[in-house]
Amino acid sequence: MSDTAQLASDAGSRDPAVGLRAVRALRLLVERLEALQVENARNAGWSWQDIALLLGVSRQAVHKKYAGGRGLLRREK
Amino acid sequence: MLERFTHDAREVVRHAEEQARKLRHEQVGTEHLLLGLLSRPETVSARALATHGITYERVREEIVRTLGDGTSGDIDAEALETIGIDLSAVREKIEEAFGVGALDREPRRGRGGVLLSGRRAPFSPRAKKTLELAVREAVALKSGNIRDGHILLGVIREGQGLGARILTDAGIDMSALRAEVKSAL
Repeated sequence: MSDTAQLASDAGSRDPAVGLRAVRALRLLVERLEALQVENARNAGWSWQDIALLLGVSRQAVHKKYAGGRGLLRREK
Repeated sequence: MLERFTHDAREVVRHAEEQARKLRHEQVGTEHLLLGLLSRPETVSARALATHGITYERVREEIVRTLGDGTSGDIDAEALETIGIDLSAVREKIEEAFGVGALDREPRRGRGGVLLSGRRAPFSPRAKKTLELAVREAVALKSGNIRDGHILLGVIREGQGLGARILTDAGIDMSALRAEVKSAL
């Protein structure tokens, strides 16, 4: 076990510094995983609608985040 | 594009890509190509550069000084360990599917604002140009293949990238270097 992990288990999981740091790391991991998976789905021809459905978010949300300013008004399948 | 590249020349390109990934840089630039050229000390280009005092370590330091070392933004594996997530296990699974380094870089905005994963670092326009010029140099010198020396000639001829800038900042006479590489090829 690393020093930090040891420290965390010694101190219990109630230390905010440890907990918040973990949340931040997890968010970074999720952002990168999501980008990989969305890119892969788009390359495989998935629609924003289908991607949004599986991610549990709205089509607009996933489109806005991943398609940037491109073709916002274009009606996609 | 790399079909006619020799083994050494391919290794130069591969090393450039690897270093761009390890430094978390978004693109493979002429500076990474220069580093690639220096990664194989026995090659014509590395020896020519060595006579001018250009070493691998010196170039790497210069690149980090100019572009930074992006590893400070890496996912905190120790923090994840505190909540029971083994990042190395996650990384292994993801790299199986998406290739080495798939989790190493942050997502970035590509052309048209599209959010791209950090899975790949594209070659910068100048690095692409450099490789095109390497091919042209080889053709002009009537070489049947593209060697590491041609890549160095490409870096010199492109002239504007960080790779060339590192060389000129080191006080190198580019036309002299060019002549030396040409005669050694």
